[in-house]
Amino acid sequence: MENLICKNLCKSYKDKEVLKDVNLTLEPGKIYGLIGRNGVGKTTLLSLISAQSTVTSGEVTLGNEPVWENPNALQHICFSRELGMSVSTGTGAMKVKQYLKAAKMFYPNWDEEMAQKLIKLFELDMKKQIAKLSKGMASMITIIVALASKAPYTFLDEPVAGLDVVARDMFYRLLIEEYTESGRTFVISTHIIEEAADVFEEVIIVKNHGIFLKEHTDALLERARHISGRADVIDTVTQDMHTYHEENIGRSKGVTVLLEPGQKISSNDEITVQKVSLQNLFVALCGEEISLKNER
Amino acid sequence: MNEILTQEKSIYIQISEMIENDILRDILLEGEKTPSTNDLAKLYSINPATAAKGINILVDKGILYKKRGIGMFVEQGAKEKIKNTRKSEFYKNYVEALIQEAKNLGISREELVHMIQEHATV
Repeated sequence: MENLICKNLCKSYKDKEVLKDVNLTLEPGKIYGLIGRNGVGKTTLLSLISAQSTVTSGEVTLGNEPVWENPNALQHICFSRELGMSVSTGTGAMKVKQYLKAAKMFYPNWDEEMAQKLIKLFELDMKKQIAKLSKGMASMITIIVALASKAPYTFLDEPVAGLDVVARDMFYRLLIEEYTESGRTFVISTHIIEEAADVFEEVIIVKNHGIFLKEHTDALLERARHISGRADVIDTVTQDMHTYHEENIGRSKGVTVLLEPGQKISSNDEITVQKVSLQNLFVALCGEEISLKNER
Repeated sequence: MNEILTQEKSIYIQISEMIENDILRDILLEGEKTPSTNDLAKLYSINPATAAKGINILVDKGILYKKRGIGMFVEQGAKEKIKNTRKSEFYKNYVEALIQEAKNLGISREELVHMIQEHATV
């Protein structure tokens, strides 16, 4: 399988710009985590890459072929979207059975045996109408479609939303099992970062209409640190560093840094240096200072 | 190998330490086959690349070796090797931290030595 490449992708809805100049290369055989705040354009990005919606400008290619309206390329891509729950739109009115039957027809490499196993495992009621499913059950269906599609590039948009913690654990186990056996590429967007961090080989952070960062999870966490101590000491230590999310209380200050190659924090009796989790780092990178009090 | 992963250290380091612990405790014996990268990935729900990184550390240290097409095995003399490495790291990991905290608390050298003599049963 070849790389899936996005070149200068832009997407606007009317006059609202969602994504601007996105350049992204996905390599076969990796699990990517796609993280970003609500409304930042993660779902839009996935639907552009899988040619489920039109780009405003730019191009997505698999190998050297454009993906748009190209069945040859699209058979290798599955984007299992969140299900529309309204009865008036297509999927909401369908029964679970009908929806899965449609998926089976749509994906040429569909693994029916796996789909049946997963239906049993998740104890899904096949006769139920999609609109009447709980959020968790709807997520299970998107997981079944994604895994059974057997598509070499598979995108899951918040697959664990609404799932209880046992079902989430089950999902990650099934994902790893399928991944180790097939070597397919998965891109998974999630807001429950902490428990997914160990699954991602690379993380892609979407911010300000574009890719803020794409890096090996290990390498990223290796250069992220939280430093705290007396404010003036912290300022001196971090003066040449990229700092995020400063917090002050009295004389004390804490800050998250991303070290550049060659940078080191000189260890020092006066400061505390700690590793940060991916979730904490994400909050530091994408969060803003907030307060309920009025700005002065 | 059934310890729980924590946030304190990189996952691949924890994987390598867990395998070392099992060798120290004779849960994994010298000459024996270790769980595969994929087994570890499934057990902990971690990316197989991370598990492989943990195993490769041990290969580089001469604690595990690879038999092509069969799997990873524990090297003869691995247990002794792990003990020796851990002893040399003991100063950095424990003694230095101990002295640093003693400094923070204003514990004198004499007090510190006394505490160790009093409580060390080794």
